[in-house]
Amino acid sequence: MKSRIKNFINNGDLRRVRFWIQLITFVLFVYGGYLAINFGSSFPIFTCPYNDKTAATCYVIALQHQLAMPTKVLFSAAFISILIGLVTFIAWFMILNKAWCGYMCPFGTLQDWITALRKKIGIRFSIYTQKQFDQLSKIKYLFLIIVLLFPLLIGAGVLSNNWSAAFCQMCPARVISPMFVGDFSQWSIDFSSKTNMILTALGISFAALFFIGAFVKKRFFCFFCPMSALHYIFADTSIIRFRKDGSKCTRCGDCYAVCDMQIKDIADDVISTNILRDDCILCLKCVAACPEDDALHFDILNIKAFSSTREGFEKRMNIGSYTKNYEANK
Amino acid sequence: MNTIHNIESPKEKQNRHKAMEAIKLLNTLREDFKAPISSMEYFYDLFERVHCKHESLHDDKTKIGTMCIQIPSEIIYALDGVPIRLCNGFYTDDEIGSDFMPQKACPLIKATVGHFASGNFTDKPDIVFSPTTCDQKTKAGTTIESFGYKFIDVDFPRTKESEASREYWRRSVKQFAVELSKFQGKKLTKNNLRDAIKKIGYAQLLYHKLSEFRKNEIVPILGMDVFLVTNAFFFDKIDNWIEATEKLISELEIRAKEKITVTGKASPRIIYTGSPPIFPNYKIPQIIEESDGIIVADETCSSNRMFNDMVAVDEWNIYDMMDSISDKYLKACTCPIFTKNEDRIRRVVQLAREYKADGVIYQAFAGCTVYEMEQRSVLEAMEKEGIPILYLESDYSPSQGGQLSTRVEAFIESLKTRRRNKK
Repeated sequence: MKSRIKNFINNGDLRRVRFWIQLITFVLFVYGGYLAINFGSSFPIFTCPYNDKTAATCYVIALQHQLAMPTKVLFSAAFISILIGLVTFIAWFMILNKAWCGYMCPFGTLQDWITALRKKIGIRFSIYTQKQFDQLSKIKYLFLIIVLLFPLLIGAGVLSNNWSAAFCQMCPARVISPMFVGDFSQWSIDFSSKTNMILTALGISFAALFFIGAFVKKRFFCFFCPMSALHYIFADTSIIRFRKDGSKCTRCGDCYAVCDMQIKDIADDVISTNILRDDCILCLKCVAACPEDDALHFDILNIKAFSSTREGFEKRMNIGSYTKNYEANK
Repeated sequence: MNTIHNIESPKEKQNRHKAMEAIKLLNTLREDFKAPISSMEYFYDLFERVHCKHESLHDDKTKIGTMCIQIPSEIIYALDGVPIRLCNGFYTDDEIGSDFMPQKACPLIKATVGHFASGNFTDKPDIVFSPTTCDQKTKAGTTIESFGYKFIDVDFPRTKESEASREYWRRSVKQFAVELSKFQGKKLTKNNLRDAIKKIGYAQLLYHKLSEFRKNEIVPILGMDVFLVTNAFFFDKIDNWIEATEKLISELEIRAKEKITVTGKASPRIIYTGSPPIFPNYKIPQIIEESDGIIVADETCSSNRMFNDMVAVDEWNIYDMMDSISDKYLKACTCPIFTKNEDRIRRVVQLAREYKADGVIYQAFAGCTVYEMEQRSVLEAMEKEGIPILYLESDYSPSQGGQLSTRVEAFIESLKTRRRNKK
């Protein structure tokens, strides 16, 4: 029985499973407000509260507001509230690790849909060169610094209140998320101060760039996402592990070929057992594309929940279909 | 009285000698081992037809000669050609080739050059693509070209760790596709490339199924037979090959159920690695299996390495497919020409574990410098892993049998003792 369930999962059509999970969670998180669903304000994905029907609040915005308290208050009793926020965030994060990105985040799902559109049209995706990759992958940490440092500077009185939630002002999710409930008001520049003007203008440009970027590059924004960087810091707390058995790897590069995030270590690193990298969105496409039994596996509480298998590979790549065609032609 | 004296032409002599080499091995395979597999007859017959009766298989198609496994057959099939791998195993050709190559050159390359020099092909290649792998193959190109063949070098990098080498090889493969496409007057399209990938993928799948039986405790097929099956993939019509292999697999299924074995009671399980056994040079495999060893897996470019890694893509775009194909032929390749050989060691260790091998036999052709050089590091690594290994040097000459078989027999006996002591 156990092995039958295992086979069923490992031979499964990941694409389809993922499509439905993403569709359901997208509806849930973007429109959950209509049903008065509220998962609180420490959610580890881009569930943007600028969309007033959201079912949860992105932790990045909550964190910025919490950290922006006057420094004196911050290091008194209020510190506990920040701590509670953080603990809640980690608690959410722990359950799914970075699979929040690959399966839950509505902003990620949106990009996957744009990708599907491009695929339908038959245009090829673009990739970064290694040099571009190395340089651009630092940007998410830069954004994370903005998220963490700017509010503290406001609290210390160094920056004015116009810098409040500075990242959100720049964030394309702020501009785009409300569109799904018919609110296009975020497509505007805030002229109340020079700072706001610059930040919101950046936000609009990033939103425009988002659509173009996501069309030519798979998971374009995730590469720059400060939430992704924040996730990575707490990755070791999760009950979920993404592991690789290097002795079984032949470095054929199938995993790398399907990786939306162009993570090269997945194919080239045969030494690390923990193969989760900061850009990873745990979409598990690599596991599905790996032809070596158990070389890559997705573990929940150290139990292999989804492993690469040759049989699953053959099914998903539809290699057997060749025989059917062949039989038909005979 | 009229007596007609026929004087044998060099070509006839070459054919006669090669036929003798071929039939000697085929008869051994047919008769000398216990519990022969009836569906192997297709393969015995195929080699007999090609090498003894000189039947050509691909009269109606353009034949694309390849010098190493790195030329992607997916692309050749997509462009409506037939890949013919020209690596040669005949001693007769080795002797002809000796006139063109240094005395200490590798017999495989000498035989290949000799084959070209004689021009005596059953399926003569219309164009030859040669990846610049080892020194000898690379340099043999100009010699072969001087015989009047259309011969094209395909740049191959010798390091595979760097990103630069990945990009370099991807470009080379694209260039190869462009040239072949021009030669064939056919365009590479999404559909024909995808179909070719699936076809090769299916052949690979069959190989993997075949290998599964060799993991069993009771091994239903000889290593030599598997070498023959994989060697047939060098030149056979792929659809026939697929059909014959499917039949072979169904017969093996029955044999596995009925516990029919080709081995003795305690035959040690051997992993074969090193210079490739290419028909009819099965000297070492034959000695192993005649000395009561059984080859359960191999790490060679004439067998496992051709089939091991299958192509996957995210989107079936032509460039996506090309890149994924290219990576397989470079990154997953465990050829000793690369600067480092950790991948090869890992593969051998993994095979030994997966196939529960008792020992490894590492053969290098005398003159195959890269395999000879890697011997040290592989031996060291196996020692660390506690896997017994025997290193042998051999060539294509039929005369060295005695000394080699003494060493192999001793090794196999030691493996048996080792196994008994473990129990």
